[in-house]
Amino acid sequence: MKLDPLFIWTAFVQILGAIPTTLYITIVSVLAGFVIGLAVALIRIYRVPVLYPLAVGYVTFIRGTPMLTHLLLIYFGLPVLIDGLAAHFGWGFRSVSIPMIGFAYISFSITAGAYMSEVVRSGLLAVDRGQLEAAHSIGMTTPQALRRIVFPQALAASLPNLSNAVIGMLHGSTLAFTVSVVDINAKAQIVASTNWKFFEAYLAAALIFWGLTFLIERATSVIERRINLYNRGGVA
Amino acid sequence: MGAPFDISYVFSFLPKLFGTLGTTLLIVGGSLLAGIIVGFLVALPRLYKIPVLKTCSEIYISFFRGTPILIQLFLFYYGLPEILKLINIDMTRTPVLVFVILTYGLHTGAYMSEMIRAAVQAVDKGQVEAAYATGMTAFQAFRRIVLPQALGIAVPVFSNLVIALLKDTSLAFTLGVMEMTGKAQTLGTLTQHFIETYIALALIYLVISFTIEKLLLVAERRLLRHEKQTATERKAFRINKSWSYRRIIAELGPGKGGAGL
Amino acid sequence: MIRLSQISKSFGRHQVLNNIDLTVTKGEVVVILGPSGSGKTTLLRCVNYLEKPGSGEIAIGDFKVDCKHARKQEIYKLRQKTAMVFQQYNLFRHKTALENVMEGLLIVKKLSKDEARKRSIALLDKVGLGSKLDAYPSQLSGGQQQRVGIARALALEPEVILFDEPTSALDPELVGEVLAVIRKIAKEGITMIVVTHEMGFARDVANHVVFMDGGVIVEEGTPTELFNHPREERTKQFLKRITPELNYSI
Repeated sequence: MKLDPLFIWTAFVQILGAIPTTLYITIVSVLAGFVIGLAVALIRIYRVPVLYPLAVGYVTFIRGTPMLTHLLLIYFGLPVLIDGLAAHFGWGFRSVSIPMIGFAYISFSITAGAYMSEVVRSGLLAVDRGQLEAAHSIGMTTPQALRRIVFPQALAASLPNLSNAVIGMLHGSTLAFTVSVVDINAKAQIVASTNWKFFEAYLAAALIFWGLTFLIERATSVIERRINLYNRGGVA
Repeated sequence: MGAPFDISYVFSFLPKLFGTLGTTLLIVGGSLLAGIIVGFLVALPRLYKIPVLKTCSEIYISFFRGTPILIQLFLFYYGLPEILKLINIDMTRTPVLVFVILTYGLHTGAYMSEMIRAAVQAVDKGQVEAAYATGMTAFQAFRRIVLPQALGIAVPVFSNLVIALLKDTSLAFTLGVMEMTGKAQTLGTLTQHFIETYIALALIYLVISFTIEKLLLVAERRLLRHEKQTATERKAFRINKSWSYRRIIAELGPGKGGAGL
Repeated sequence: MIRLSQISKSFGRHQVLNNIDLTVTKGEVVVILGPSGSGKTTLLRCVNYLEKPGSGEIAIGDFKVDCKHARKQEIYKLRQKTAMVFQQYNLFRHKTALENVMEGLLIVKKLSKDEARKRSIALLDKVGLGSKLDAYPSQLSGGQQQRVGIARALALEPEVILFDEPTSALDPELVGEVLAVIRKIAKEGITMIVVTHEMGFARDVANHVVFMDGGVIVEEGTPTELFNHPREERTKQFLKRITPELNYSI
């Protein structure tokens, strides 16, 4: 084996084609995760009976175990569950019709949901209670106050965490290779083993991830500067 | 796909997986040690604003935080021997575990350095001034005043990093290391009871994460016993610039962000 | 005796201190007055080098420091001869009241633990906190914290104690207890330079009042001279603005 700098470029070009897959997984899991996270965060903040311990258990379990185990459990467990229910209720749907990438979507969304709930919760807690009281004092209803006063401030406060979570999911999407989805990482593996040039291929993949991460961070700082106009002089 | 679900397998797998816990903890411990040392070395140029070295530190951190750990594992495993071959060092006989610990150490080192920097900077500037006004030297002020306070501030982030590291080690199986996840996959293939193995695996991870978190919480309470300790989140939407609020922020802050895999 | 000669300091292009000369004799209580941005706090911080003066000389007794070429050892020595009481108290957060006072004695003065402890307890008694030895700063009120700060400064037995607006971060009802302590130690003949907005305190306690504006000393003299017969127009205006009640008492 000899180092082949030119092959880094060749590999780079070949791996580029797998970027959309990685982005799909990231975007789906972040969006679905945000919806789950918002619900879980509100359940925890308002201590909704019955749901509260479930929410705490969910977050604790997901944060305490590797993302890989979530994927493996969904990959092996979900078909059993679905086929079992289908047989019981006589549905026509069978687990084999779930595409491989579907498992990644579902599993990563569940993972992201737990982390997102922490992001949302810390954002909401960062908003001064006085803000809600002031909104009530001018006659707003609670939903109005949340939507117009609390959420915008919470979003601003949680933006750095949000960006971290998105980057986390982007990096986490590399696990999709375990369920045979060809994302950037899997593509690098293929390019590496067919040409027997591992280092070059993974270097190209690393550069692509580095670039994507950089873009996310840049975008965040642009949004942050806009959103935080009211908060000049340092964000908590 | 696999044999029918049987809960008893979960219990029989637990001790088998426990047998490889040592390897997992060895990776965690080894890379933690490496990470703390690297983290300090990388944080110093940024704290003291040393020209060229500061830029090097920033690139280092940016790379290790900007690429997935899985890619880093492959990169070092395949790349390091080739680079070292150029200066005539032969690594073909080096055990895989060395590469794994090295990679995790460098990876977590980037996060550690961010943690150290943030914690040191979080100590109020007035504390250093008061130390100087008392006549202390810069080193005395750092050791006696800044460091003890920074330690307490860093613990929540540290706790997160250790747990993230623990979870990341589940990827070492991709290089053929027989730690817990690798063992679980073997057991699964062997018995075809995949779900049960992975439940057992998740349970062990959960228990270890939980233990680490609780232990470090005790450490934090001790280190921050001088601060007023208020219960977290007593009321909705309440700002709390004190201990508990800082803690929530710190947990998410410069640590491993959202997903520590 | 403390003599500041030709002290200048700029932040970027903005000149904060312009050739300040000030002499403080032993046992004197000097109060520095002036509008915000006049450079009074910067001057105070220059005296113990928390702010590096651009040029000038600081002399405490026979010990002289040329600000432009100060060496590290000289700075440490200068700081040992001075002590500072901060606006924000700046008590060491991870140490109890007693440990805060002991810290300098142990680390800088290299006293034995027993000796440091004995002296510190006496000082905390003096500022009325003999019962709060083991309290952490977070468990003390602002006034109590500031009194610990004063005890910490006294412990070093400095040639001069610098007070940087010691009461302006306090709730009004806590100002009295801190001023009372400062008054008490002023009577013991400890040299002090105080930056404050408390006019009553300045009149009663100071022997020497300095009015600063725009980075220069506009006028200085005894409290009677300065408050009752200010010569400079800028001083008159400042006094009128800040202490309307003085007009009645004259």
